[in-house]
This record gives sequence, C-alpha cells and structure tokens, in this order.
Amino acid sequence: MRMRILVGIVLVVSCLFWVNVNLGSAEEKVIINGIDANFPPFAYVDKNGNPDGFDVKSVDWIAKEMGFKVKHQPMDWDGIIPSLNAKKIDMIASGLSVTDERKKQVAYTIPYWVIKQVLVVKNDSDLTPETALANGNKIGVQRGTSEAKWMEENLIKKEGKDFELVYYDSAPLSVEDVLNGRIVAAAMDDAPANDAVSKKPVKIIGGFGMHDEEFAYAVRQDDADLLNTLNEGLKKLMASPEWEELQKQYDLKQ
Amino acid sequence: MTEGFVAVINALPYMLKGSLVTIGVVFGAMGLGLSLGVPLAVGLVYGPGWLRKIIGFYVWFFRGVPLLVLLFLFYFGLFSWMGINFSAFSAGTIVLGLISAAYQSQIFRGAMLSLPEGQLKAARALGMSDVKAILFIILPQALRLSVPGWSNEYSIVLKDSAVTYALGVAEIMARTHFVASRTYQHLPLYIAAGMMYLLMTYIGVKGLRILEKNVRIPGYSY
Repeated sequence: MRMRILVGIVLVVSCLFWVNVNLGSAEEKVIINGIDANFPPFAYVDKNGNPDGFDVKSVDWIAKEMGFKVKHQPMDWDGIIPSLNAKKIDMIASGLSVTDERKKQVAYTIPYWVIKQVLVVKNDSDLTPETALANGNKIGVQRGTSEAKWMEENLIKKEGKDFELVYYDSAPLSVEDVLNGRIVAAAMDDAPANDAVSKKPVKIIGGFGMHDEEFAYAVRQDDADLLNTLNEGLKKLMASPEWEELQKQYDLKQ
Repeated sequence: MTEGFVAVINALPYMLKGSLVTIGVVFGAMGLGLSLGVPLAVGLVYGPGWLRKIIGFYVWFFRGVPLLVLLFLFYFGLFSWMGINFSAFSAGTIVLGLISAAYQSQIFRGAMLSLPEGQLKAARALGMSDVKAILFIILPQALRLSVPGWSNEYSIVLKDSAVTYALGVAEIMARTHFVASRTYQHLPLYIAAGMMYLLMTYIGVKGLRILEKNVRIPGYSY
C-alpha cells in the first residue's frame, strides 16, 4: 500500500512537470515587448506587479492605435538583445539608447527621447565630476549599457583617467552602493537618476562628457512590418496631446 | 525602517505570486530529475559498460558546468539552435531538471549499491527476470532509502531556482529586484525574500521527513 502511495507521488510529480511545460509554451500570438523592469520611470512594475512606466504606457497607446496586442515581458538587461534575436521577444521599448554597435544587431525606430548621462553621489559629498573620476575612485555603472562601454573606451582607455568601473545589475543597485559607500559615484541616464534623487539622499553633480543619446524602440532586422507599424504609431503618439500627458505623469523633463 | 516595512507589506502579494512560480520551477525540475534520475541510476549500476560510460559523461557534464552557464547555453544557444522556442520558465525548469537528474542519479545509485548483492541473486534463483527484480525488489527499497538525500536535493534546487531570474523568469528573486528598483528599499525586501526561501525549505524538508517516516519498513534491516 505504502509503495503504491510512493509510486503515485512519483507519477504526480512527473506529470506536474509536463503540465508546467505545456502551460509555459501555449501562448496566444501577441507582440512581446521586452523591458528592463529595473529602469524607472521608463519601465518598472507597479504595486500590483503590472508592468508600468513611460515606455510601457507609450507602447500600450501605440498598440491600441495601430491595432495589435502587446504583452510586456520584464527581463534581465544583459540578455535583452540576445532575447530579441532569439525570438523570445519581438521588440524592446525600455529606454534603449541608439548606438552604432547595436545598429549591427537590431533595427531602430525613430528616436523619441534624448537622454543625458550624469553622475550621482551622496547628498553630503563635495565631489565634482572632475574629482569623482580621478584618484582611483570606484564608479558604479549598469552592466551592458552604452555609458559603461563609453566610459571604458573613452575615459579609461583613451584619456587614461584614473578611476575604476564597478558593474551592477541595475542602476538602482548602483545607487544603493553609493549609499553603502562602496563606490563614490554612479553613472547613469538622467531620468532614472532623477527618480533616485526623489527617493534617496543622493544628488546629481552633472555629466561626465558623454554625448547625449537618443532612445528608440528596437525590433529584429528582418521584421520590417513591425518596424513600420511602430514608427507610424510613434509619430502619431508624439503628435498627440497624450505625449505631453505621459511626460507629466512620469515626471520626465526634456 | 517603517518605510521599508510598508514597502514589504505592499510588495508581499506580488512576491508571494513569485513564490508560486518558484514552486512551479522546483516541482518541474525535481519531477524531471526524478523521472530521469532513476533510469540513469539503474543504468549506472546494472547497465553494460558503454551505457555506464554515456551516463557517466552526462553526470560529469551537468555536475561540472555552472548553473548560470548552462542556463545561458540552453536558453540562448541550444534551444534556439534546435528551433524550439521554450519560454524562460520552461527553459529554466528543464535545465534545472537536467542538472538535478545528474545529482539524483547519484543519490539513487548510492542507495542501490547499499543493498546486499545477494538480493538480486535470490530474485534470479526464484525465476524473476532482471527487469522484474530491479522494478519490484531493488527500486522499492532504494527509493525509500533515497528520501533523506532527496530532501537535501530539494533544498538545493529550491535555492538554485533563484538563478533563473537571469533568464527573466518572474520568480521571487526577480520580483524582489523589480520592487526594490521602484521603491529603493533593498534591505527589507531582500530580507523578506530570504525568509520566503527559508520557509519553503522548512516546509518541504519537513514534508519529506514525514514521507520518510511513513515509507520506512519497521524493524527492517539488511
């Protein structure tokens, strides 16, 4: 009898596994938008666990206007472009900046936002961008971002500045480590930096010489249909009063 | 601190839903590990030399490569190359299951080897085929003996499931990170996440302890 119970448990557990797999793969065909949910105010998850943010709401508007269904898939930033090309997701609308390097791998829509790169330090710090990026200081940056690459190539390799880059999984984690004192400053886009300033005792001390960047959505290079749809939708959105509303709602200033 | 407490309370329903995802990954992985691990162990103990070599290679590979490497290798590489579009959840579960099968095969192998050899000979002498003897004499005893090792494996798989967050599986760890990014309450939220894992380990190990007691044959020794 007990043996039967044991065998039963074994069978049930095995069955559960296959049910899981089937539930996982049986999905309705919708456009899947990959987001870095650690990137407020452009993309994050709200109190109820639903994707929210400036980019999320913009894409929702475009989807409604252009007549397609969209699902926002939070994922790790490191894997977001490989995921796009492996067809795990269909588009990226998550504060993705346009770079030449990425242009080789993805197709961009028209740019919709201009972003500045800034340094964030503790409130009581007297560092300036010049003194922060010197003296062997440790500077935090999110792994896999355009600013990380730019700082490595230009400031450290070309200009030979004496500071060390420390890599983080997300911008908020680097801010946390500024507060912990492990790094003196964190480099990031100005919008998430403003978000951090509104929630933590940190301040922005200015840029570090990196050119302004543009944000755009990205799709696979062979996905011309979706690219056209998104471009058309973006143009409509940016021409509508809703665009201003969204900026106000997410406290974004151009 | 009250701020952090409020953040945890607000995030709790969302994080608890993540624990369901974690449970799904763990059950799937343990189930796959079990349904592959038992035949692997039988092959290792009773199989011909070539089969033992193949299984040995499998075990060596899945025990030797770090979990994160395997996750990336399968999710972005192998599965895509094979043209199978698994979701992050399925891919994470399968990879954890394949790894667990390697470890579980060793648990079952150890249990089988601990049984006296004479049992198989006695079964043959009674006219049972080898397959029958393994199914009805060896495995029922070996599986009972494996429960303690299996509960160890459960707690390992449970904790390893947190790594699937790198693929974008919305389990406890990923959700904690998302909420922390919005609220900037990292410490209280990660403490809450840690407590959820502790609780799940406690419940699972306790349940397996009860199972262990229930399937034990009283007064039986080898």
